Amino acid sequence: MRFFPYILKQTGRNLRKTWGTQVMTLLTVSLSVLIFSFFFLIHTNILKAGARLGDELRLIVYLDDEVVPAMQEQLKKRITDFNEVENIVFVSRQEAFARLANNLDQDRDVLQDMSPTFLPPSIEIFPKKNLKTLTTIKRFSDYLITLPGAQKVQYGQEWVERFGYFNSLLRIVVLLSAGLLVISTVFMVSYTIRLTLFTRHEELELLRLLGATNTYIQGPLLLEGLLQGLMGASLGLLSLFLLFSWIKLRFSGPGFLNLFDFSFFPPATTCTILMTGIILCSLGSLISIRKFLRV
Amino acid sequence: MVELVKVSKVYPPDIMALQDISLSVKRGEMIFLTGMSGAGKTTLLKLICSLETSDKGLVEVAGHDLNRIKPVVLQRLRQKIGVAYQDFRLLPLQSVYQNIAMAMEVSYLPPATIRKRVESLLEQLGIADKRDKLAGKISRGEQQRVAIARAAANAPTLLLADEPTGNLDATITKLVVGLLESLNQAGTTMIIATHDQSIYRQTNHRVINLEHGRFTEPPMEP
Ligand SMILES: Nc1ncnc2c1ncn2[C@@H]1O[C@H](COP(=O)(O)OP(=O)(O)OP(=O)(O)O)[C@@H](O)[C@H]1O
Ligand SMILES: [Mg+2]
Repeated sequence: MRFFPYILKQTGRNLRKTWGTQVMTLLTVSLSVLIFSFFFLIHTNILKAGARLGDELRLIVYLDDEVVPAMQEQLKKRITDFNEVENIVFVSRQEAFARLANNLDQDRDVLQDMSPTFLPPSIEIFPKKNLKTLTTIKRFSDYLITLPGAQKVQYGQEWVERFGYFNSLLRIVVLLSAGLLVISTVFMVSYTIRLTLFTRHEELELLRLLGATNTYIQGPLLLEGLLQGLMGASLGLLSLFLLFSWIKLRFSGPGFLNLFDFSFFPPATTCTILMTGIILCSLGSLISIRKFLRV
Repeated sequence: MVELVKVSKVYPPDIMALQDISLSVKRGEMIFLTGMSGAGKTTLLKLICSLETSDKGLVEVAGHDLNRIKPVVLQRLRQKIGVAYQDFRLLPLQSVYQNIAMAMEVSYLPPATIRKRVESLLEQLGIADKRDKLAGKISRGEQQRVAIARAAANAPTLLLADEPTGNLDATITKLVVGLLESLNQAGTTMIIATHDQSIYRQTNHRVINLEHGRFTEPPMEP
């Protein structure tokens, strides 16, 4: 551990010598981290919102006729033949009418002249959690329409589809910004380290003659990359957090964001992003060391 | 300590700097390497500190064949070989102190030890007042002494000095020779390349003479 103070000292000297570029690199790294984690944060929140809304997802099969209790078991069996489901509820005409009346609350007088049997009976099917992808829901719905007496199947097709497309679009943006993150950090850091190598060229050559070990020479350069990663990623995440808090404060109250109950990354994700930044930047310095420092 | 067996060195395209040189230097010995300009003195020292590699023959230092030495072993070996280069090789933008301290920092010596050692060397060589000057902003003679101090700093077991008194007057030369003598007394093996007759005329150390890359007489024993 005796070498540690020396490595720190050298690193400090390097940073001071090329501080202009160091700052540029730091900004690039933090900006990349900010862009990536911004989209990633939206993505995770949308996913979470999707899961929450998905809990309320059900398929409603409208029927021609009331299902007699004897038939119910048989229908249940037909439905579960396709897939296990969370729950199946049979809704009779009366029940449907009662529900509607309940929902209308104050305005229930509009139903006054209606026959309590004007609504069709239906089966409400709450699918299992594992059946939440768009295609399986579609297939399930296609299957349900073949049930005897089924007239129509509804599950908010349009909404589910839009949500699915939006999500895959967002996933692409996240992946793109991750690519940007990787390229810009690795490239910028390896460029800065190369600059350090050039400005210290004479000194490094002399250190070799004096018998400096690889640890002594490479340690500070690796540490430089590592520090860039640590500080850049911290700065990026910090700005994201500030941005997040500002948005939350600004747009709190009833509205679009409340629907999502927007929340920041859990600590584990924050740490992972931080570590990734550090690893990427160390990788950048390693590339330069390998390429430009003959050992 | 140093064994050379039939060593030749050719610089491109065809400059025969050394031809079939054989030399054995025992541990604790001090020898002077003389010869005209261009005789190959510097080349010989460069081979011994592995700054150049020989084209033919064997160069062995402290039991290591320098043509086959592993990088890690060479690094450790170099920490124990002090070299005062003819062209000094100082870092002009760093202080005198830092230039000398470097040689010990690579061995991770404690800072207090380094400070004591550097200051004592500066004192002995009469440049204590230049401690914090930039190495590029002092006179040639002062730079020369800094180079010697750096070579001597890390308690080397082998010290190679190339023209250590080239830029110094008689008084300062005495200081430098005194330092080298005392290091040798303490057990450091020493090879000094020089033109300066005044520093080897009256010694009983071995003096070997190079001429066009060959020894003028078999330099085996004194
Ligand atoms: N890097 C090099 N490339 C080509 N030739 C070289 C190189 N270094 C030295 N030489 C040649 O090799 C020969 C020996 O040079 P060397 O430097 O060993 O001489 P020297 O004895 O140290 O001379 P001086 O007393 O002037 O320092 C000379 O002819 C020189 O021109
Ligand atoms: Mg020479």
